[in-house]
Order: sequence, then C-alpha cells, then structure tokens
Amino acid sequence: MRDRFTDQARRVLELARVEADALGQRYLGPEHVVLGVLRDGTSAAAQVLRAHGLELEAARVELGRLAERGVVAGPRPSDAELLGALGIDLDAVRQSTQGTFGSQAVAEATREATRARRRGIARVPRTPLEGPPLLIGRTLQFAGERAGALGQATVGPELLLVGALDDIAKPWPRCMSNRWRRRLLAHVGLPGDYRGAARPLLEAFGVSLDELHGTLVARLRGAP
Amino acid sequence: MNETAQGEVTAVAAATGSKDPEVALAAVAALRGLVEVLEALNVENARAKGWSWEAIAVRLGVTKQAVHKKYAGRRFRLGRRSG
Repeated sequence: MRDRFTDQARRVLELARVEADALGQRYLGPEHVVLGVLRDGTSAAAQVLRAHGLELEAARVELGRLAERGVVAGPRPSDAELLGALGIDLDAVRQSTQGTFGSQAVAEATREATRARRRGIARVPRTPLEGPPLLIGRTLQFAGERAGALGQATVGPELLLVGALDDIAKPWPRCMSNRWRRRLLAHVGLPGDYRGAARPLLEAFGVSLDELHGTLVARLRGAP
Repeated sequence: MNETAQGEVTAVAAATGSKDPEVALAAVAALRGLVEVLEALNVENARAKGWSWEAIAVRLGVTKQAVHKKYAGRRFRLGRRSG
C-alpha cells in the first residue's frame, strides 16, 4: 500500500513522527498525522485545515492540553534516553546488530520478540530497536480504500486526512481491543480505550468533521 | 512548548536516573526489549551455524528445553537455507 504514497504523503508521515517526538509522545497516532499535514503546510489538505481554523502552533498546544487531560499520552523519555541513563548507547547497539545480521534479520527478530504466538512464552510489547508504534493502521487503510473509491492512483496528504476522518467515523471492530493491543497502549502511556485523538483535536477548534470530510472529498474529485 | 517538553523529559531521564521508579522501570522494560531481540538473533545465528539446543542453552544459562520451547517455532531464518 505504501508504494502508492506520494512523496508529500511520506513527508507528512515523517513530520508527524517528528511532531510526536517533539511532544515526547512515543507513538504515532492520527492526531500526529493532522500535525504533520499542518507542518508540511503546502498541501491542499493543509489549506483546508487552515480554512477550518487550525494552525500548527495552536494544534500543538491543544494536543499538549489533551495529554494533560489524559486523553493521549503525556511526555515521557524515549528509549534512547532511558537506555542512555543506564550507560547504553542505543544507536551503537542498533548499528552493530544491523551491521552483523542485516536490518532485515533485525526487523524479523523484533517481530519474533513482540508477537507472542503461544501462551507462556515471555515476550515484550515492543523493543527499542524498532521505531515508535504506528497506531495509524486504520487511517492508512481507509486512505487507501478512499483512493480506490475516488479513482486516485496515489495517496496524498488529502487522502491521509480523509483516512483519519474515516477512522473517526467508522466503528471499531471488537478484535481491535485485545490483550496485546492494550498492553502496547499501556506501554506507551495511552489509555486502554484509545481510539486515536484526531476527533478531540479537531473538535477543540470547532471543526465540523462531516463538513471537513465533504470539503476534502470535493477537492479530490475536482482535481483527479 | 515543544522544546520545553523535550528538555524536561531529557532532564528527568538524566537527573533522576534510577531513583524515580517511573523512569527506572521504563528503562528496565526497554532493556528487556533489547535483550529479547538480541537473544532471538543470536539463538538463530547459532542454530544456523549448526549449534545444538543444548550448547546454546548452556551459554544462555537455561535448560535446553527452555530454549527449544521458546525458539523452535521461530519464524525467521538467517540467510537462505534449502528445505
């Protein structure tokens, strides 16, 4: 799916990660995608957001406020900082293991360690060698589905935003609330019923979600 | 605000170190995650080099049953092997 992303969409996701990091939030959620779109600033999606009254700095402050209210995770030290306090240089470990075994093997071993397939096998929710957990699976999935429905060959920032809005609107299947996921959420400091925080972030600016969705889809239809 | 939040976090991690359970336990969890990956990598590496479960278990300080139970069903392999 990701090979259909435009360069700008990739940049937005990278900036989303930077924004999450700057807020000290150790995961990537749909709310960070909104920040990423605003920070990139040049897309039609960013124009639409600004037209609805969102600005990057205000959105950052609002997300910080949501963290204080416990809706999203508050700032916490990164793995590199935690291990650094123990005298372990995470970057050095990463480089040496990837140099020895190759990044593919490290990625597979990480998967092995984080996905328990049988009971009783001690495994961890995540490891410092992978990046922050991506809690934007549904956003990306719906962005891809909308691309198909709207006849778009590629996924740009507008479709990412539509994906985030679809994520808010569509019900969550029960399988999304499982022990493994709850453990992962707790591990990064999120409440167990976290379903993405794009809705409270957008609603804090008085944005009508339906209207925003309509504007974006109209833009996408207008410019194929 | 971002820089302040980041700065605070770094300061917390550096200054309180192992005194604050919040930070210390998170550091232990990060360390455990690191250990799990390194163990998985090196057990597979040893198996690929033809080591027995027993030889691996002795080095890890566990029983051969323990290491076999944990890694016999592993899904990744180093390099390409036929069969």
